[in-house]
Amino acid sequence: MKFVVSSSVLLKQLSTVNGVIANNPIVPILENFLFQIDQTQLTVTASDLQTVMITTLAVESSDTGAIAIPARLLLDTLRGLPDQPITFKVDRDTFGTEIITENGRYKLSGENPIDFPKVPQVTKSLSVQISADILGAAIANTIFAVSNDDLRPAMTGVYVQLSPEYTNFVATDGHRLIRYKRSDVKSEYDSTMIIPRKALNLLKSSLPSDDTTVTSDFSSSNAFFSFNNIRMICRLIDERFPDYENAIPQNNPNVLTINRSEFLGSLKRISIYSNKTTHQIRLKLAKNDLVISAEDLDYSNEANERLMCDYDGDEMEIGFNAKFMVEMLSNLTSNMISLEMSQPNRAGLIIPADKKADEDILMLVMPVMLNTYA
Amino acid sequence: MDAFYASVEQRDNPALRGKPVAVGGSRERGVVAAASYEARKFGVRSAMSSMVAARKCPNLIFVKPRFESYKVASKQIREVFAEYTHLIEPLSLDEAYLDVTENLKGMASATAIAKEIKEKIKERTQLTASAGVSYNKFLAKLASDYQKPDGLFVIKPNQGEKFVEDLEVYRFHGIGKVTADKMNKMNIFTGLDLRQYDESFLTKHFGKAGKYYYNIARAIDYRPVNTERIRKSVGSENTFWRDLETNVELEAGLKPIIEDVWKYCERTQVYGRTVHLKVKFKDFQIITRSRTTLSPIVDSTFFEKIAYDLLEQLYPIPKGVRLLGISLSNLALGDDMVGKQLSLEF
Repeated sequence: MKFVVSSSVLLKQLSTVNGVIANNPIVPILENFLFQIDQTQLTVTASDLQTVMITTLAVESSDTGAIAIPARLLLDTLRGLPDQPITFKVDRDTFGTEIITENGRYKLSGENPIDFPKVPQVTKSLSVQISADILGAAIANTIFAVSNDDLRPAMTGVYVQLSPEYTNFVATDGHRLIRYKRSDVKSEYDSTMIIPRKALNLLKSSLPSDDTTVTSDFSSSNAFFSFNNIRMICRLIDERFPDYENAIPQNNPNVLTINRSEFLGSLKRISIYSNKTTHQIRLKLAKNDLVISAEDLDYSNEANERLMCDYDGDEMEIGFNAKFMVEMLSNLTSNMISLEMSQPNRAGLIIPADKKADEDILMLVMPVMLNTYA
Repeated sequence: MDAFYASVEQRDNPALRGKPVAVGGSRERGVVAAASYEARKFGVRSAMSSMVAARKCPNLIFVKPRFESYKVASKQIREVFAEYTHLIEPLSLDEAYLDVTENLKGMASATAIAKEIKEKIKERTQLTASAGVSYNKFLAKLASDYQKPDGLFVIKPNQGEKFVEDLEVYRFHGIGKVTADKMNKMNIFTGLDLRQYDESFLTKHFGKAGKYYYNIARAIDYRPVNTERIRKSVGSENTFWRDLETNVELEAGLKPIIEDVWKYCERTQVYGRTVHLKVKFKDFQIITRSRTTLSPIVDSTFFEKIAYDLLEQLYPIPKGVRLLGISLSNLALGDDMVGKQLSLEF
């Protein structure tokens, strides 16, 4: 079996799907790319059993067949090569593979393609068409709040609530929660699922930033995404997502409205002086007055800034983790934002003041307790 | 809710219906927690000692409290409230302020809401409630007490001041017996009398509360419905089966009370700076002693020591002790809580 391909085109496609391959896969075959040649089309598959990514590219060949090629070795070789056509020669009996370039020959031992795990097929499913830029925004706005806690697997993915009117993308790590709502993503009927973080991260980095249509099919156990020459299949997290809606406080009479970038800038500066483990900063609020402060008693560091703002509500002091605040505010684009609060021991809600059409973002963050009771 | 605990007992036990019932402890030493309306006719009131109650009403039936049942009913009524507004300030298991200015049903009339809530409560719990409707918390509370049981009383914006005028200061929510007695001595008997004095005068005589009295005499109350009331103290007390006479008995009696309070502190990570000891003697004389430390007491042996010290100060005990109580105030979060990142509750 023999085929010729451009080294740079191949490298680009392999780089896209390489993210799937785990460092220490459960079965060694998963350290390989699966190459399937069907005359002028090469299909490359990478898998970690939970997530599968498949890409296709054009090659010159008259053969049909398959081979599993060690991913690391192949990628390192391609990265070191100047752009040129390269020839792959595969021995169907020994799976020995030879790469022939302008400069020389590289021999590597492939694996039997039969051993490569089967890719799940789309079965009975709900199909939704989503524009790539919208899906990308939904992922970017939620993924940073996904939990790393394997003890609560339901929270290690983004919860997607599809309905005929709108779609919610929800992520939480137990300390904060993001609900990203799109009224322009709709499905035929109500359905919910939890998509794991890894799949979404890979999707995010491979999605084009235009309005390319992403065909998304959801079965009871898998999600299938396809766009351009890429397909991704991932296993859904089979857990019950927490009842997040009840965690969003309804009555938040204390409202801070402030310029987002000024607030963000101040938080970044003040957080340098905060405790290195808690990242605790303090917001002291009075009528149209905000003082942000932090102190690190271990090093006698402290800082405070006074900011222009609109504040309507009770005088209060509330503590937050500056890292959370900075991350959330950085993800927003709105010029002005509001922070809605009720009590120093209850969640604060960050809501962009200028809303984009079809988009509704709500960010919730739990406070850090200050050394004043109440 | 009308005679809440007693009504629940009468609902669950048909044999008690139509009879004078008191929910509370033993006949000799207990206190009436709630009295049915039949018992109230005889002058039985909550917080009255069971002995006095039994004397006033010889046929009074005492029932042991069953808090689990009360909690179930309480949850049911709160669910009814929650259908109308998120702004709920519970005062106890059976009483709450609701702000229905903007309500979930979009109903324009608070009176109509009160009527519906009463009906739903009746339907779901077979218990009656009394509602007071007005434009602030002070008046709403007055209105709810005005027509009981099964009442619905409205004080309209133009009636508030007049309503307060004729009211005896003893009936004012927020004016206790001692303050009312003091006012009587100053020839203040009604709301109208109270209204004759300016704020600085009232503040001089009654401290911080003076401003509140000045306002309520004019039916003014801007306090919002507070959905998150903050606990100001934590305490536990016990009335003993028989009077404690010796130091050994007193110390043994105090121990479980101290443990009870400490359990709460550990569970909630809320600690106090001031320890109060309350002693009620057999002649019902009550004395309190307290001590304040510089920082919150986070060590159980230290807390115990302060409590016993307060008790030892009273030695030799002049007369038998009927009740002992320990409470903590000046509450603050324990060190473990400061800087703690709170989590979502799910």
